[in-house]
Amino acid sequence: MRLPLHRLAIYGVAFLFAIVVNFLVPRLMPGSPVDGMIAQLGPRATPAAIEAIKARFGAVQQPLWEQFLDYLKGLASLDLGVSVKYYPQTVVEVLGRSAGWTAFFVVTAIIFSLCIGTTLGALAAWRRGGRFDSIVSPLSIMMIAVPPVVIALATLFTFGVALRWLPVGYAYNPNLDPGLNFTFFGSVFLHAIMPVLTLSPYLIGEFQTTMRTSMISVLGEDYVTMGRAKGLSETAVMFGYAARNAMLPVLTNLALMLGAVFGGSIVTEIVFNYPGLGLTLYTASVARDYPVIQGQLLLMTLATLGANLLVDLIYGVVDPRIGEART
Amino acid sequence: MNAGMKLLLRQKKAVVGLTIVVALCLMALFAPILAPNDPAARVGRSHQPPSIEHVMGTTKMGRDVFSQFVWGARSSLTIGFATGIFITVLGTLIGLAGGYFGGRTDNILDLLTNAVLVIPNIPLLILLASFAGTVGPVAIMAIIALTSWPWGARMTRSQTLALRNREFVVAARMVGEPNWRIVFVEIVPNLLPLIALNLVGSIIYAIVAQTTLEYLGFGDPLNVTWGTMLYNAQNSSAIIVGAWWDIAVPCAGIVLVGLGLSLLNFTFDEIANPQLRSGPALRRWLRLNRLRTRELEAAR
Repeated sequence: MRLPLHRLAIYGVAFLFAIVVNFLVPRLMPGSPVDGMIAQLGPRATPAAIEAIKARFGAVQQPLWEQFLDYLKGLASLDLGVSVKYYPQTVVEVLGRSAGWTAFFVVTAIIFSLCIGTTLGALAAWRRGGRFDSIVSPLSIMMIAVPPVVIALATLFTFGVALRWLPVGYAYNPNLDPGLNFTFFGSVFLHAIMPVLTLSPYLIGEFQTTMRTSMISVLGEDYVTMGRAKGLSETAVMFGYAARNAMLPVLTNLALMLGAVFGGSIVTEIVFNYPGLGLTLYTASVARDYPVIQGQLLLMTLATLGANLLVDLIYGVVDPRIGEART
Repeated sequence: MNAGMKLLLRQKKAVVGLTIVVALCLMALFAPILAPNDPAARVGRSHQPPSIEHVMGTTKMGRDVFSQFVWGARSSLTIGFATGIFITVLGTLIGLAGGYFGGRTDNILDLLTNAVLVIPNIPLLILLASFAGTVGPVAIMAIIALTSWPWGARMTRSQTLALRNREFVVAARMVGEPNWRIVFVEIVPNLLPLIALNLVGSIIYAIVAQTTLEYLGFGDPLNVTWGTMLYNAQNSSAIIVGAWWDIAVPCAGIVLVGLGLSLLNFTFDEIANPQLRSGPALRRWLRLNRLRTRELEAAR
């Protein structure tokens, strides 16, 4: 199992890009974010804190490249700075608190949509041009075009406010003690339903579209004809022969979509007041808590790169035909 | 009417999509006639439900939602379309350059494309927007365009690679045509369905991204767009007090544009995809279509 070198180069460049953006943007923007942040700290602004913020955002007399080296050193030791809003907590602590919730509901939404989307895509391709296909496939493309804000607000209004079926905020009932018991898990589940449903339409649309396209090309392959010639049942050929291979492009697409999924999750968390990374990012951007915003970008870039790397590895295992020539 | 338009009009989905988009554009164009009042003017009491006087109700600030909707269409659509065009031009040029010139140019551009592709856009947008404070429409356009060209660039590149060594391109090169002429006269016409697909997709993406940014409060709150309408509605807790019209109207606008454009896109996809396998497929596709209709008519 070999990972093509140029894939690693791509991830390296992407990560470097995120770091450079983080480093340069506050130094290039007109006006000084540093003064704003020190003002935010108010009475908590100890000399040490002011010093740390100045060093991080370039309000020091040092050549740019030295600042950059210091910045890289800080990153290497996982030092993302201190949060301005939650001072003296560090950015890592603030992000660590919320990352779990985002990971939980995003992964749930992805698995949920993957099951539905690929099944719909496979069925649509199986009867290409049929009635099912002509309803489901345009519908999927439309679902991609609806911004998550709209879906989130519509869901919130329908199920949260008008029907009052589901709770409208937080990740679990705040009166409960978090613990390994059934009531707590039930509460977490109930609170996750709306966020997951909000994130899903876009994902289902994307999965359905990719799966349909890829399935159509797979259906022309010899081994599918072979499966049919063996007299296997339709479902066996569809899922056991064709769909399994058609899944590969869906995986690639999933990894590339993760950036957009994070975009959707930010909005979803804000609308539903869900205590994940997106809500943290939002409160940070309102409070001009730049260290947290920057840490967020790095974390989300890392997550996307990690997912892409994972897909590359899975690809190599699942499809041995793909060597280094893959583009 | 040229062949491309005819082809488009023969598709029922495309006609519906085109109608929706054109209708919204006309509405935006004739905003001063449809809603002569200033959309920012206080015209009634706060959060009035839809009535004959205010067909779509009023906002918390007592502004007429209909006027805001009509005028909001202006800036939302202008920004969306302009950004979409910007993204497409950027992506197409980069894809063409990489695919046509190959070699080191291609290596660098492809690396760049793939790298920008894996960076999560919206968090990057939020970072840039929050350092810039509230950003005007031009800044929003630039930020969105600079982070979202790679999809188009990738598609264009792989298509250009496929076309580069075809006979007509090789012939043009042997005749000694300059590179720019080969690219824009020989190659680009063959990429038109793909460019159209890219353009419509980019416009959809631009509208989604713009709405998201404005909803999060990074837009200029004085500039009436569908995104800032949502932002204001959210800030006045329209949902909790049950003023659904305040939320539903801008949502409906956004969904309608998305619907119209994606119906168009579905058709472009159908036209562009057979081309993935063969050269100037548009004409072949047209001929096939003509044959098919003739056959159908004969069968009848």
